[in-house]
Amino acid sequence: MIERVRSWLLARNPGVSDISLDEDIIDGRLIDSIAFPELVLFLEELAGRELSLTRETVVALRTLRGIRDTVLAAPHQAAAHD
Amino acid sequence: MVMAEAIAETLDSLVADSTDHHYSPYTRFDWVDELAEEQWWMTPELLTIAGTKWATELDEATRMRLSKWESINFFSVNIHGIRELLIEVTRRIHTPGFELPSEFFHRFLGEENGHMWFFAQFCQRYGKRIYPDKMLPVGDSGSDTELASFLVFARILIFEELVDHFNIRMGRDTTLHPLIREINQVHHDDEWRHIVMGRKMVEHLFQPLRERDDAELRARLDDYVQRYIAASVQSLYNPGVYRDAGIPESYTFRNELLQDPARLRYHDMFFSRITKFLINQGIISASPFAVAAGDGGTR
Repeated sequence: MIERVRSWLLARNPGVSDISLDEDIIDGRLIDSIAFPELVLFLEELAGRELSLTRETVVALRTLRGIRDTVLAAPHQAAAHD
Repeated sequence: MVMAEAIAETLDSLVADSTDHHYSPYTRFDWVDELAEEQWWMTPELLTIAGTKWATELDEATRMRLSKWESINFFSVNIHGIRELLIEVTRRIHTPGFELPSEFFHRFLGEENGHMWFFAQFCQRYGKRIYPDKMLPVGDSGSDTELASFLVFARILIFEELVDHFNIRMGRDTTLHPLIREINQVHHDDEWRHIVMGRKMVEHLFQPLRERDDAELRARLDDYVQRYIAASVQSLYNPGVYRDAGIPESYTFRNELLQDPARLRYHDMFFSRITKFLINQGIISASPFAVAAGDGGTR
């Protein structure tokens, strides 16, 4: 599933060929505040649940590792949907 | 940075108008105990399905339910937009460079606080929820304070112009419940002052950026502002809304609507005033809706 997130980010950054698991996608400007809500909705679609943007979630969203290990792997941390 | 005399004159008249039309948001409305679900909560032409096959394929009860949740989402989007502008304007009031508009900022902050309150009342009374904000509060301008201020006021203006298009339409729509009509009308009655001032601010704050004669910066701004306009319209398409309206596969439904070419005409209409202004100022080169609907529904 994390490969789909990597592909989603790469598609929006044509000059970038790869994104490591620990690269900070916000500091690295792979995503900015304008595109951030679309990333959240894409991750919600993949996770099958609505994400609650807590301080911890936002930290996890900064790297692919955080997204894989926290956002996409912890269905009990947010309300179920669909 | 010194504000021009022309802005001072406009500010004086806006402050005077604000004083003349002052009201208490806390006593302005007669909140009814409940609003029936089976009615139009939003003008059908403003729904995110307008112009698509779903405007005819969904039954009327579902479309009315959708109008309820799109209305709650519209007011939720307002609440989150107002939060940002309250923070950013408060950050600048009575600081160097903003001496002149500070008197107006007091009125602006007071009015926006009132708007936020009545939008939240509506959402909590009749929807029992405010849809959460998906924005990440990170700066996009680094340490460039001139650029940061320009972007703040450009974002505020774009947001207000979008909202005002909806307020004008719904404030006049006699098929809507009087309370819904009145909330939209009251908001518009204040918002026009904010838009007049917003245009002056954006024009003024863009001037030093234009004078830098930096083609790379101008291209970056053009792209940023166009993307912000597109993102603003995307916030109206909320999967949570479709879910609450009982529409299955809410994310797929959202993507399908955003990619429907029929929606471009509506997006263009929502932003027609502000895109003309931004193009005339040389801030953007074109309307973002003059291109494709693609990019996973980006524009």
